[in-house]
Amino acid sequence: MRSRSLQYSKALAPLGLALCVGFAQAQELGHGVQAHGFVSQSVIHTSDNHVGGSGEDSLGWDLREMGVNLSWRPTPDWLISGQALARWAGESDKGDLRLDYGFVDRTLFSDGDSQVGLRLGKIKNPYGFYNTTRDVAHTRPGIIMPQSIYLDQIRNFFLAAPGLSLYGNSENNVGNLSWQISVLRPEVDDPSLEYVFLANDQAGHFKGKNSWLSQAMFDMGGTWRMGLSLGEMNMAYHPSLLGEIEIAGSHRLPTWVLSLEHNTEDWSFTVEYGQTKVDATGYRLFNQNATTEAGYVQATRRMGNNWQGYLRHDVLYYDNNDRDGTAFAGSALPLMLGLPAHSRFAKDWVFGVRHDIEHIALSAEWHHVDGTAWLAQSDNPRAGLIRQWDMLLLQAAWRF
Amino acid sequence: MILFWMLLTQLALADLAMAAEIIANSSVGVNSLSLASARSIFGMRQVKWPDDKHIQVFVLADTHPTHIALCKERLNLFPYQLRQSWDRLVYAGMAQAPIEVANEEELVNKVATTPGAIGYVRKVKTNDAIKIIAIQ
Repeated sequence: MRSRSLQYSKALAPLGLALCVGFAQAQELGHGVQAHGFVSQSVIHTSDNHVGGSGEDSLGWDLREMGVNLSWRPTPDWLISGQALARWAGESDKGDLRLDYGFVDRTLFSDGDSQVGLRLGKIKNPYGFYNTTRDVAHTRPGIIMPQSIYLDQIRNFFLAAPGLSLYGNSENNVGNLSWQISVLRPEVDDPSLEYVFLANDQAGHFKGKNSWLSQAMFDMGGTWRMGLSLGEMNMAYHPSLLGEIEIAGSHRLPTWVLSLEHNTEDWSFTVEYGQTKVDATGYRLFNQNATTEAGYVQATRRMGNNWQGYLRHDVLYYDNNDRDGTAFAGSALPLMLGLPAHSRFAKDWVFGVRHDIEHIALSAEWHHVDGTAWLAQSDNPRAGLIRQWDMLLLQAAWRF
Repeated sequence: MILFWMLLTQLALADLAMAAEIIANSSVGVNSLSLASARSIFGMRQVKWPDDKHIQVFVLADTHPTHIALCKERLNLFPYQLRQSWDRLVYAGMAQAPIEVANEEELVNKVATTPGAIGYVRKVKTNDAIKIIAIQ
């Protein structure tokens, strides 16, 4: 109870600041300083399984996010930016206030149509179309992200990290080419990370190791957008002092995503496909080596009067050589833990509508899912996982 | 009656087809921009003029007819695309947003009184403090 009130009091800080700044409409604070922010709240009903605090007979209210950012451009060549974020998502995210990003950006070269610059600090990782702004409801392609590419269970690992980033931008009459290459040390504080990579919650902890991520995105006047994200994320597992020496080891995760989007006035068609190799070494008990395969297609129709509807099919396989999960479920540790085969895949049909009223977006989204791969294990006891399930989400979001 | 409606429709179409003019503060040492540069400036990716002065972008609401005209007829974009591209930059801390004003009159005043400012209007009235920027 005490921790709950602490969480809410922590959340009041960004909310208070967001409301003060937002209602005053003071996005431009003078002297090159700007403030922006966002708040969203969702309500979830699930037929089976648990998402955001939903239960058999109760609605889930634990899907909530709020953030506020400040940026300062003292001269055209310098930009200093930072964002505070609090997020709630069932047991896996409890609303702790954290620094989402905070960096210094220096333009090194600029000749009108081309720029090259350097960013230093905690930087958002470009990965696919949506990773950098995945917590801002207005920028997402639906209420929840396509979980195949943007798996919430390991979101912090991929979201932002301290590091150094070289970026560039080049504009011509055909379109705009933007690119970025970052060296970083990934953050490994996701409670779900051990469930995903070590099959269970362990007593020790992961530690981020030197990694790199890059992205090139070509935007043909907005009509076609295409991109490649490429990198390798690394981390090592440090066992607790109370034993566990048998599971010390490290993970190497080479990853890539191809992104393609076609836009017309009324329609957007988006497809993203990616693979991540999970290369675990040194673990005596559970060396999981597999290639994760992820992809989705989405069609969005803008219907006028700020209404839009969308249809998405999203597919995730943790192992492309064991798509139905039977080989995994039959192996020693998963068998001992009682992990079902359907915890290794998820095929999700999504239908949603969204209505925008100035700075407010109201959305409703229905999911029919075959598989439980992206459900947070901290919210879902293994024995109770149901393979086929449905989910209805409603969301209200505001931003300034 | 039919003729009247046809005339009215024609007038309405002519009005819609009239592109927005890009305007800048008279201190700006540029008289024309390539389409690429205009997209880069209104997309908040290019933030300084060739003389290194800061570019301050002023815009109208996404649903304002003049904003729609600027996007479609000058920048060859749809307004939602410009909004998405601003959001991607602003909420990742990689750029600042343009300043939104309530109406065209305020926009002209802001451009006229802010050094390095750029904006747009449907019809330019004689005003010494602003200049029209051509798109090449």
